[in-house]
Amino acid sequence: MGEHETHGIIENIFDGLLGKDIYFWNFIILMVFTLFEVAAVFFTGIPLKAVWAILIGVGIVKGYGISAYFMHLKGDPRIYTRTALFPVVFVILMLWGIGLSNPEGVTGLPAWCTPLSADYATNR
Amino acid sequence: MSSGEAHVENSIWMRAVLMGSTFLVIGILAFATMGVGVANMRHHAYEEAVHEYDDAKHDYEEAKLSYENAKANNASTEEIEALKATKDALKDIKDDAHHHEVEAHLSYLTWRTAGITILLMCVTYASFIGLGGFVNSIQPEEDDSHGASSYGGDDHEHHGSASPIVFALGIMLFLMGFPEFQATLSDMLSGNEAELGGLGLSMFGLLVIVLGVSNWWREDLPFIGNGEQIATSAPFEGQHIRKAGLWVFIMSEIMVFATFFSSYLRMRTEWCTGWQVEAGNCEQVDMLTASDFLRPDGAELGGLGGQGDFMTLLPGAINTFALIVSSYTIVLALKTAKNANWEAPTGFMGKLMPTKKAAVRNYLLATLLLGSMFIVLKLIEWSHLVAEGFTIGTQAGSIFYISTGAHGLHVFIGLLVMLYLVFKADTVEFNEDNAQGIEYFGLYWHFVDLAWVVIFPAFYLY
Repeated sequence: MGEHETHGIIENIFDGLLGKDIYFWNFIILMVFTLFEVAAVFFTGIPLKAVWAILIGVGIVKGYGISAYFMHLKGDPRIYTRTALFPVVFVILMLWGIGLSNPEGVTGLPAWCTPLSADYATNR
Repeated sequence: MSSGEAHVENSIWMRAVLMGSTFLVIGILAFATMGVGVANMRHHAYEEAVHEYDDAKHDYEEAKLSYENAKANNASTEEIEALKATKDALKDIKDDAHHHEVEAHLSYLTWRTAGITILLMCVTYASFIGLGGFVNSIQPEEDDSHGASSYGGDDHEHHGSASPIVFALGIMLFLMGFPEFQATLSDMLSGNEAELGGLGLSMFGLLVIVLGVSNWWREDLPFIGNGEQIATSAPFEGQHIRKAGLWVFIMSEIMVFATFFSSYLRMRTEWCTGWQVEAGNCEQVDMLTASDFLRPDGAELGGLGGQGDFMTLLPGAINTFALIVSSYTIVLALKTAKNANWEAPTGFMGKLMPTKKAAVRNYLLATLLLGSMFIVLKLIEWSHLVAEGFTIGTQAGSIFYISTGAHGLHVFIGLLVMLYLVFKADTVEFNEDNAQGIEYFGLYWHFVDLAWVVIFPAFYLY
């Protein structure tokens, strides 16, 4: 967090800008992008695919801002980034293997997956 | 905990009891004003709105009957037209009255839920910090005659702590007894005969948790930063063990939230939601998601959903901003604590933060308030969703409440830890040597913020 020094293109631009440090600018960027996120859904005229793109794009920017600067992965030894990324393999497996691979969703689950709620899973 | 500690007198712990009492007073006052005073007024307005709606509905149905009778009896065209105009006007009045009734109901729920939530949170805060402080204040005073540390004289040696194990045991006991605990509480709340013994195991678990936590605090409070344990082998060689442990913990938490998210995706790919219809993937909406109740153009099904507007989306949106601001305040708390050359700001901020000690404490307090606001707004939003028919009994509701509830629970647990940090900031004081506590807690708090970055668009906006 606050005490970690980072040196890169982004830091060179923002750190010290208007007398404020990188954490302040990261905070401002997060707030502005959240505003985009909410506005994309609130204004009903925006096409669906554009809303999708905005939600995913804003999510990536915000995720990077929080993990790289607030959680100071950018200034810390690489081992912490590797630790944070380790579960990503499983996350991708879960999202792809469980979340997206079966278009039938819960109704396609084998019975042994839902021993206590077979009716719930099959008779929606 | 490690050694290298300052001596802390037992009397200091009584301030934790005072802090707990303050929270109790705040909770009671908030409940009395919001949960009883304002909520009762809103309930009165809601009852009036219900009567107005009933009257308007009655008038409309009579006008509709007159119109249909006139048509059936072949009345004159002018008479039928006049009756139709009256019926249409009364329908508008009825729809307006219904809208006002819903608004009045939600307004009542807002104040009632806010009052009850603040009371329950403050009672929990008071119990947690108050009991922990009380247990430590009645301990025998530690012998400080052998140097700074009361857990050993060597500043470079780790002496370990049993507190996390006691704490984990307490959680295990609490969860083992939880089904009966929950059933007994449900019986008590619904006025049924309840077996009080059903509360036993979980209450014992809570007691063990309090004892474990209070002992943990007792070990941590005097910590002045000397002797932080360093890992001596790969892959974290040379790193602080506590920090590495926290990252491994966060790693496991990422997996927990990934299970919720993948379950949600699996369910969601099957549903024909408003988004899927709009994308041309299916023809008729068969499932309403939370966003259908919250978004301005949410889908409708069976008279439900589609009621969202700016105000229904507002609590979730405010919460998103609140979490980001709270992430920044914790960064500021750490920055201030780590700054050896800190100078008091001028103007209004200078009055809020006249000393470094006050600045760190107030930044932490601001984080605590923002986190508490998050919980209150979340429960207000839940109460509205339930009132509008989006309950945990529906498929979309089950995954929504479990996922957002698990996140809310993480926020709440973070707030309990923050209580202790506020207490430590107010008594022992954080500085450039012992600020690790804020840094490591900050990592957890930022992770909770990060999880919300995924949950908010996925569950509230999409």
